[in-house]
Amino acid sequence: MKHVLVVDDAATVRMYHRGILEFAGYMVEEALNGIEALEKALETPFDLLLVDINMPRLDGFGFLKELRRQPIPQPPAIMVSTEAAAGDEKSAYRAGASCYLLKPVRPAQLLAHARLMLGEENK
Amino acid sequence: MSACAPQPDPSHGISSEDFLKFREFFYRRTGISFESSKRYFVDKRLAERIESTGTGTFRGYFTLLRFQASGEELQLLTNSMTVNETYFLREEYQFQCLVDSILPEIAKRKAGSDPIRIWCIPSSSGEEPYSIAMYLLEKWPQINEWDVEIISSDIDTSILRRARQGRYSIRSVQYVPPRWLAKYFKSIGDEYQLSEDLRQAVEFTRVNLSEPADTIAYRNFDVIFCRNLLIYFDDLSRKNATDTFYEALNPGGYICLGHSESMSRISSLFKVRKFPEAIVYQKTMEAR
Amino acid sequence: MALVRGKAAGDAAGKAAQPAGKSKPKPASCAELAAGLESADAAVRRHAARGIVLCPDAGAALVSRLKCEQEVAVRAAILTALIRLDDPAATAGLAGCLRSEDVALRNEAIEALRELAASGDSAGAVPPVLASLLADPDPDVRIFAVNVMESMVHPDVERWLIEVIETDSHINVCATAVDLLCEVGTEAAIDPLVRLQARFVSEPYIQFAAELALKRVREI
Repeated sequence: MKHVLVVDDAATVRMYHRGILEFAGYMVEEALNGIEALEKALETPFDLLLVDINMPRLDGFGFLKELRRQPIPQPPAIMVSTEAAAGDEKSAYRAGASCYLLKPVRPAQLLAHARLMLGEENK
Repeated sequence: MSACAPQPDPSHGISSEDFLKFREFFYRRTGISFESSKRYFVDKRLAERIESTGTGTFRGYFTLLRFQASGEELQLLTNSMTVNETYFLREEYQFQCLVDSILPEIAKRKAGSDPIRIWCIPSSSGEEPYSIAMYLLEKWPQINEWDVEIISSDIDTSILRRARQGRYSIRSVQYVPPRWLAKYFKSIGDEYQLSEDLRQAVEFTRVNLSEPADTIAYRNFDVIFCRNLLIYFDDLSRKNATDTFYEALNPGGYICLGHSESMSRISSLFKVRKFPEAIVYQKTMEAR
Repeated sequence: MALVRGKAAGDAAGKAAQPAGKSKPKPASCAELAAGLESADAAVRRHAARGIVLCPDAGAALVSRLKCEQEVAVRAAILTALIRLDDPAATAGLAGCLRSEDVALRNEAIEALRELAASGDSAGAVPPVLASLLADPDPDVRIFAVNVMESMVHPDVERWLIEVIETDSHINVCATAVDLLCEVGTEAAIDPLVRLQARFVSEPYIQFAAELALKRVREI
């Protein structure tokens, strides 16, 4: 079973993403900011990360940049954000994201991207 | 109507929605997180506080907790949620991490005759700094090549007196291996007196972490142990403490926090380091 | 070599890096501290940020340095100083940072404003600033304004959130407000939440979030 880490400071968003991913059969773990995410990602190997950009303490960019430096297997990361600055998408790829989605994410859209990232397109 | 006496409610009248809402709130404010398996423990503490405050329901209590300007109730609840018991070798995996991972790194990059300096705060009654001292003597072979200084601080002068005295209950030493017990303690009645050598190895000082005048002199440390203290601080005090630690550490210095608290509550000033035994935080090498 | 009794100040080895050396330090003047904030040496900037709090106009000086400061440790010291300073200049300066393109700066400003709004002496200065942020044309700034309310103990927080979900046209601003209503909402939020669901009838996220908030609000 694939293991996904959902990182967002809003509880509602985490529950929403968790619901969609669990419905599709993924196992979900949550973190509510970049530092907690980093701690969890160092503890457990994940197959996919779903990361918000604006978070307190350590934002999504900071988290990914730091994670990409760690000597561990690197999972793909989907970054999600509100409309935000035009530079966000570029910064997301620079920080090590594999794809970038705008909030609110629709269930079918999220699952399509998750499967793509996990190499399960035919599922 | 019913002839049956009401069954005691195992959830103390706190619904699972209440639990989730509380858990989220409490984590954001204190950095302490509870797994669902802790539900009973949490519900019980909440029920006690609902009763003591006379708020009657979870909803009434939560409103008090959320909107009380002084934050006093949150403090009381935090105290009741965190059982702060101190004893020798508590959370031993961190000492293991110190001798197996952290000290070897420090020894590799440190110049010849400089001592390795460890700051342990709060000292409480001394179990933690003395545990570190014993661990170094027993488990770190390179102790013969290095001078190590352990400084331990607390805000409370009466507890510092007790720490210097080094007299402990059986309960306090229950996890100390028998060989160490025989080597470093003398039993006096039903208490254990720590040896003079070990007592002399730790310097105890009084410090208020929120008072810059108290902490400005604390410099050149390689490792700071600060376990289960910051969870009791408000955000500003926590920030002040983090700044103080940053100033007190040498470049590349390490911070070890308690098991249930994570740096995510404090700051992004330090880098996360994963060692086989534990996760610790490190000041960057380039910093000064 | 072994365990040795150390000195707190770390001068046992004669290597103490006391900022002012062994002689008794003379307190720096406000002018020196202001200049220190612009020093090329990060350690000097950090000390200046911690010391300047007692000087007049510290807020403006700190905010202006914050906007260009790259060193995380100095930024942290500046933010702590602004929270300690706790005056209208600090509040206004931090609010200005919400419009920055720099994600880290934005998030730091939100966090500092939350702390000021939660307990600071100038908590009274926050609501008017919030009102203007909530009317900002940029939806992201409005989202950040809602984020700031997270730790506020002000009795009008629910009313402001309800106003957001009743009037704001942007889905993500409403979504952020609903998330906080899960925590602070009362019966007063029920009808507005139902109306919000009707307004964004084809948005699964709003349906989900409002449903959750309703469930929490209705729980007795």
